[in-house]
Amino acid sequence: MDLKFLASDRVEAFVSHLMQQKTVYAPQHTGKHSVALEKVDDPAAVILDYGRTMQSVKKFFLPPRDELLSFDLTDHSFTPAAVEPLDAILLGIHSYDRAAIDRLDYNFSQGHPEKNYLTRREGVVWVGVSFEPDEFHFSGSVGISPHETAGFDAFLTRVREGYLVEVLTDAGRELVSGFELPPAERPKPAPGHFHQHIFLPQAKLNEVMAASYNNEIWAEMAEKCVGCGSCNIVCPTCYCFNVEENVDITVTGGTRERIWDGCMLREFTEVAGGEVFRGGLAERQRHRVMRKFKYLSDKTGHPWCVGCGRCTAYCTAGISIVSIVNRCVSDFEERHTTAM
Amino acid sequence: MAAKPRVAFFDFTGCEGCELNQLNFENQLLDMLEHVDIVEWREAMDDRPGEYDIAFVEGSLSTPDCIKRINDIRRRAKVLVAVGACAVQGGINGMKNTRPIEEVREEVYGKDKYLFPTLPALPLSAVVKVDVNVRGCPMTQLEFLKVFTALVMGKQPVEPNSAVCVECKLKENECVYEKGMICLGPVTRGGCDAHCPSFGQYCTGCRGLVPEPNLKAMEEILVKHGLSVNEAWKRLHLYNSHELEGLKS
Ligand code: SF4
Ligand code: SF4
Ligand code: SF4
Ligand code: SF4
Repeated sequence: MDLKFLASDRVEAFVSHLMQQKTVYAPQHTGKHSVALEKVDDPAAVILDYGRTMQSVKKFFLPPRDELLSFDLTDHSFTPAAVEPLDAILLGIHSYDRAAIDRLDYNFSQGHPEKNYLTRREGVVWVGVSFEPDEFHFSGSVGISPHETAGFDAFLTRVREGYLVEVLTDAGRELVSGFELPPAERPKPAPGHFHQHIFLPQAKLNEVMAASYNNEIWAEMAEKCVGCGSCNIVCPTCYCFNVEENVDITVTGGTRERIWDGCMLREFTEVAGGEVFRGGLAERQRHRVMRKFKYLSDKTGHPWCVGCGRCTAYCTAGISIVSIVNRCVSDFEERHTTAM
Repeated sequence: MAAKPRVAFFDFTGCEGCELNQLNFENQLLDMLEHVDIVEWREAMDDRPGEYDIAFVEGSLSTPDCIKRINDIRRRAKVLVAVGACAVQGGINGMKNTRPIEEVREEVYGKDKYLFPTLPALPLSAVVKVDVNVRGCPMTQLEFLKVFTALVMGKQPVEPNSAVCVECKLKENECVYEKGMICLGPVTRGGCDAHCPSFGQYCTGCRGLVPEPNLKAMEEILVKHGLSVNEAWKRLHLYNSHELEGLKS
């Protein structure tokens, strides 16, 4: 593998080089404590060393509010919204967020392929960056290393004096061509250590989760949880949405939009007639966790959680998905050892 | 085309901020007027008996006379819309309900208190059936427009009931908890597009509580972020006294 070196003081020049080729989206500060993926106007504003963005790259392919069509009430016609490929460079993406996109690609191409998402997905050049696991990351437990390069065209690994650059595809090669990068003088270092771990591999987790349907943990969590839905709304693999119509004040037309929704929200399971079929927070919490560690993994063999830690980091009630899963694991093991 | 809906506006105890907000629809006002006939503004006039297709009512009910008037409006209105926090959930006025009514009366009117009969501040729904709510303090303009168009089209408007946090996270706002503030967004009904946190301010809960709020958990969050239990409940009471007093009994 051809490993090159990008010195810290040349990062800005590198970003400028990318900007000459396509629109670049990269992590930038949006508040003292917050980083978000935004369009780059100033190469100096890009931050490659960060914990996590509140929203993942998902927002570019499945926007939080997405106009689907506009309609005309005077002649009852409608026009689907124009959807363009993103056609951009996504720079500074962490491995777990790239892995989340593989999962969404599956979700949106299964059955009836979802045109808006799949169209926007086109034309993307992926430039990953390694991360130092913080108090919330646990992607290592779901098989995603901070140095995982799968799905990237180029990958930057942080070292003290800058970044080691791996060029992984033709698109990646094209991206760096014309930008002088000396060969790296040392190999890729070992990735950083995680501070959070799920105790069991996914293969075993399916069995554990299947046996955890009646665990008391769900009721215990329901006492602490306010049902605000933040854990769904920040999750890079959540893909549920609601569809709303807005009529203009002139009452001659309007738009139909889809808006992110989530299974922790009461309204989500409210059906015609007002019945809420997952009325309690315990049932909703269970459903959320099962969606990540059982329902979709039964089907695909992969956990639908990529270990980004967002749901835990942004939960004002401090509910930790790792603790929930580990509790299911330890209760399961306890039952099985006492049974033996 | 069918006759335009007859619309009336009424006003009870409140600061009139909602009304100002209605008049503030610079771009939409003329379009709105195209679709309706405004038959009454503010005062119900006994010499103009009549029916309203839609009555927009703001303010809370706080005197025996209010009760009489709201019943009269309800009798005449096909659709009754409560506008703003005072009308929907009693609003800030509801704070007086946490103290003995005689004490409040004396504090406000002094020795003249016997000239001014007063009641605990009530949301309209405590006395009459309310068909639609437009929440907020002052009422949320965007929601008013949505309700208005839905009613003009003869549809039941959809009432938002998810927490403010949802819209806040959709906009990727920095959470004000991260800035060391406390926020009632997690248990407050959205629909305002997270107006306050979008400007770096905490949510005071003006749109009322979400359905079936987990208040014990919210108390825990507030206490974890530095409030005493007493302060936590004071914050929650600001806009929700009526509902919280009801939950207590
Ligand atoms: S973010 Fe926390 S409090 Fe909010 S719904 Fe999720 S688990 Fe519950
Ligand atoms: S469930 Fe939580 S940790 Fe897992 S991918 Fe979603 S937000 Fe990240
Ligand atoms: S600022 Fe308030 S409303 Fe926004 S996410 Fe934080 S707690 Fe929720
Ligand atoms: S953020 Fe809270 S206080 Fe501000 S308008 Fe919305 S509900 Fe009211």
